[in-house]
Amino acid sequence: MAIPILKQGDVLIASLQADPTDNDLILLKDELADRIGRLRSIGVVIDVSGLDVMDSFATRTLRGIAHTTRLRGADTVIVGIQPEVAFSMVQLGLTLDGIATALDLEEGRARLQRRADDEASRGT
Amino acid sequence: MLDQQSLSRSSQFSLSDADIERRKIIVDLTARDISRITALKDIVTQEGERYTEDFFRYLRDLGEAPGLFARRDAFAEAKRRKREHLTAITNAIYDHAYAEQRIALALLYSRYGLETRAFLGAFDHLLGLVGDDIMKRSSEGADVAFRQFMSLKKIVFFDIAIMVDVLMSERERTISQQQDAIRELSTPVLQVRDGLLILPIIGMIDSQRAKQLTDDLLRAIRANRARMVVMDITGVAAVDSKVANHLIQTIAAARLMGSTVIITGLSADVAQALVALGVDLGKITTTGDLQGGLDEAERLLGYRVIREGPGQRLSA
Repeated sequence: MAIPILKQGDVLIASLQADPTDNDLILLKDELADRIGRLRSIGVVIDVSGLDVMDSFATRTLRGIAHTTRLRGADTVIVGIQPEVAFSMVQLGLTLDGIATALDLEEGRARLQRRADDEASRGT
Repeated sequence: MLDQQSLSRSSQFSLSDADIERRKIIVDLTARDISRITALKDIVTQEGERYTEDFFRYLRDLGEAPGLFARRDAFAEAKRRKREHLTAITNAIYDHAYAEQRIALALLYSRYGLETRAFLGAFDHLLGLVGDDIMKRSSEGADVAFRQFMSLKKIVFFDIAIMVDVLMSERERTISQQQDAIRELSTPVLQVRDGLLILPIIGMIDSQRAKQLTDDLLRAIRANRARMVVMDITGVAAVDSKVANHLIQTIAAARLMGSTVIITGLSADVAQALVALGVDLGKITTTGDLQGGLDEAERLLGYRVIREGPGQRLSA
């Protein structure tokens, strides 16, 4: 099943539910890359709170999404990594270096907003 | 409260049938021994009451196990069980029920503070009384009496082994309960401001405690919606490479959850040890003390603490 992407204001929100297939993740990546440009979004929030495991493919795809988004002029925040998932990722050596993370959707949106404000204040 | 079930349920110590057989082999208890012990039945039936009284009088005169003598019901229970024990010895059926009774009596002793050394002394005294009687009453000469006594000694050592094992396992259980209590008390995760947690760590960190610490911290981050964590390790005297790596993993996991960790209070020894171990602390924010860490965390969260005046008079 394709992962739904919601638009809220100038932010796109993708919510990963239990066990997306590798194909779902690739589709998500393509779809997000397309929509960021079309909708002129400033950021993407990817909610992974529904996941019990995060394997190397999912981690790599998320990293790919974050880098692509950056090149398209927007920011990515990964939110809702569960405590058990976080610790097993670290033990497996899966990292999200240089990619913003936040506790939940609300925090993630606040973080995007702060960054947008920072850039706006630098611009003026 | 003193029934056998509640006594055995309170302990993890138990013996399987195989354990019991093995213990009999260890003391070299043979069928010949059992028949010799059975022959002592008359003596013990007649004198059991006196032996029991003497056993406890001996302990009381020594001033041992005051807790046992202070409690009338416990003392009566211990006496009854000791009397049963003597009868059971000469009944010579050393099965599971027999071992269970030994365990129950040992638990009773342990609960009322009878020390192993005092128990051994009193039991030896009791054995002396039995030995005297065997020698006095034997009609078949000293040789037979001596062999009877030696057979009895085997089962007595079998009993003592169980008693000592129970007393030791009870002591170990107490120690491990205390360790659990210390462990639970020693890793509090406290919220000092909205989104700011402090985690003071005191004492030794072993791998098990490090794991629990990680669990507690990650859960607290989610429960309190924390964005910053100040981990204070002023009270940690030593850190080895395993624990250091675990702490670094914890910090990386906290970051994945969207929380930043600041470490404070690295002592000179710990800092030098970490450098010597070659632990990579490059990605970790550290400040000298807890105060500095809190200041930094508040700054990052956007708080500004301003002193408004000289403050109120604190004492009357």
